[in-house]
Amino acid sequence: MATISNNDIARAIYLASKDKSSGEMHQVHKNIISFLARKRLMSKSSLILASLEKIINSEGGKVSATVASAKRLHDEEEKTLVHFLKKRYSAKEVALTKILDEKLLGGFRVEANNEVIDLTIKNKIRQLQEYLTRPAN
Amino acid sequence: MTTNHLVENLKKEIENFKAQIKVEKVGRVIEVFDGIAKVSGLSDIKSSEMVTFGSGEAGVALNLEEDAVGVIILGDFSKIKEGDEVKATGRILEIPVSDNTLGRVVNALGSPIDGKGPMRAEKAYPIEKVAPGVITRLSVDQPVATGIKVIDAIIPIGRGQRELLIGDRQTGKTAIAIDTILNQKGQNMICVYVSIGQKDSKLRKIEARLEEGGAMNYTVIVSAGASEAASLSYIAPYTGVSIAEYFMDQGKDVLIIYDDLSKHAVAYREISLLLRRPPGREAYPGDVFYLHSRLLERACRRNEKYGGGSITALPIIETQAGDISAYIPTNVISITDGQIFLETDLFYKGIRPAVNVGSSVSRVGSNAQIKAMKKVAGTLKLDLAQFRELEAFAQFGSDLDDATKRQLERGKRSVEVLKQLQYAPVKTEYQVVTFYALVKGFMDDVPIEKIKEFEKKLIEYTERNAKTFYKEIAEKKMWTDKGEAELVKAITDFKNGRH
Repeated sequence: MATISNNDIARAIYLASKDKSSGEMHQVHKNIISFLARKRLMSKSSLILASLEKIINSEGGKVSATVASAKRLHDEEEKTLVHFLKKRYSAKEVALTKILDEKLLGGFRVEANNEVIDLTIKNKIRQLQEYLTRPAN
Repeated sequence: MTTNHLVENLKKEIENFKAQIKVEKVGRVIEVFDGIAKVSGLSDIKSSEMVTFGSGEAGVALNLEEDAVGVIILGDFSKIKEGDEVKATGRILEIPVSDNTLGRVVNALGSPIDGKGPMRAEKAYPIEKVAPGVITRLSVDQPVATGIKVIDAIIPIGRGQRELLIGDRQTGKTAIAIDTILNQKGQNMICVYVSIGQKDSKLRKIEARLEEGGAMNYTVIVSAGASEAASLSYIAPYTGVSIAEYFMDQGKDVLIIYDDLSKHAVAYREISLLLRRPPGREAYPGDVFYLHSRLLERACRRNEKYGGGSITALPIIETQAGDISAYIPTNVISITDGQIFLETDLFYKGIRPAVNVGSSVSRVGSNAQIKAMKKVAGTLKLDLAQFRELEAFAQFGSDLDDATKRQLERGKRSVEVLKQLQYAPVKTEYQVVTFYALVKGFMDDVPIEKIKEFEKKLIEYTERNAKTFYKEIAEKKMWTDKGEAELVKAITDFKNGRH
């Protein structure tokens, strides 16, 4: 028997609760909880929830991104960035988490959908170091 | 170089530099334990793809699961923390290769560990490669002269062959391998010695011995020590064969020794179990056969059209209490083109190298033997086989007919001649002369305890007095009637002078 993964359960929950009115939702939720309890899956509920969030995000065209920069980004910059991310991942909505990190020295790096675009000075210096110490050919 | 010059150069270099902007695939470490990391993210990663950790360690993605990737860490895993960033490189693990590797000791990732300074790389070779296909190959017909009499005569090895060395601990498996390397001097052969999970003291001893014998000039040592991570032991043989392939691609002949593949299998078992792959027989994973078959299949002899060159592989397997029917020994026996059995009993009887001639075989090597050797070895093989049969029941009675007695005496002398000291490889020409004298009965009246001395002096004498014979063997690989007559005369003269 093939094992049912957390992802499969999350997908099933998503499909069950899709396009339901709020009245029906109450019953759906009750069913889900009783199913998880009956199958002894409550301990995995946090993992299932994380998978569910991912599914809802991808179905709803929502992308969560983290941007780390040495200095606070201007509103203008942020707007351009969000616009770029929307285009790149064909998303309707971008949830941006902002982190300040002085160690990056300058520039910023964006992380979204398991991808990183690193435009920091720190990364440039690292690349320069690699370039200067590369083996001669 | 003046300071100004240096600064100028540096400026130029920096001007040439262009920072690259690229999208990198990343993941995060969820879990680290015993050299294994579970990584989330890393979508679109390939199997066996190389990844780099934030701390600079490299890793290889082996298990691609639904919500995580199982990665083996190549090196120190103690610096890797949960939540660390992991970058996919999009490449299969590569090692630097160049002609400068010769004479060096490198680790499983191809970086030098012998303290002789950095090594300039010319190319990067992936460690996993598909073995050369059928049309690129040639059958084995060139000999590898091991310099070990019993092997060259009875279990000959050809260039491109895979011959297994199998036996219990302390039976001289490594000794045969090292003697073979030592004998490759001037034979146009590059040697790669892969040490897997061996004690560093043993490796040091081997290196010193090879250095002393002048063998390091054409040898590369790849080492994954017993104190290093199992993941390094797992990739070391592949690293070794990639280095070998680099030299083969230049049309050279390469000899590679894997010392030993039982430890390799154990390292792979450890990794597999930690990655939670289901265990099979003896707890080895299901693909342990493929582990060794894809490695040994890379040994080959390529035809001229595809660049020529060859890789001869001598894998070593250590058995427990002579049990050759265990899982790994049977696997590797079936993969290789023959095996050399070494036995503890023979070793302690003083028959060294302790090769069991009866159960050792070489399935393709006889085509590679030179004609002269084939001629003398054929008779020798027969003599030995008859001796083994007679030896058993000769113990019961003393009333033996003359023919049987003669055969027994011949057999005893054959066994004596095949004994050989360590680090004393014998040239093919000398071997032919010795075996010629033996099978033609010139040694039958020499007392057994004087055989070694007789052999030594005979070679000295004949080399001076049967030059034609030696020349014919060296050049034409076979003697003519003229050379043979000269040798017979020389041997007779030598015996007459002695007795």
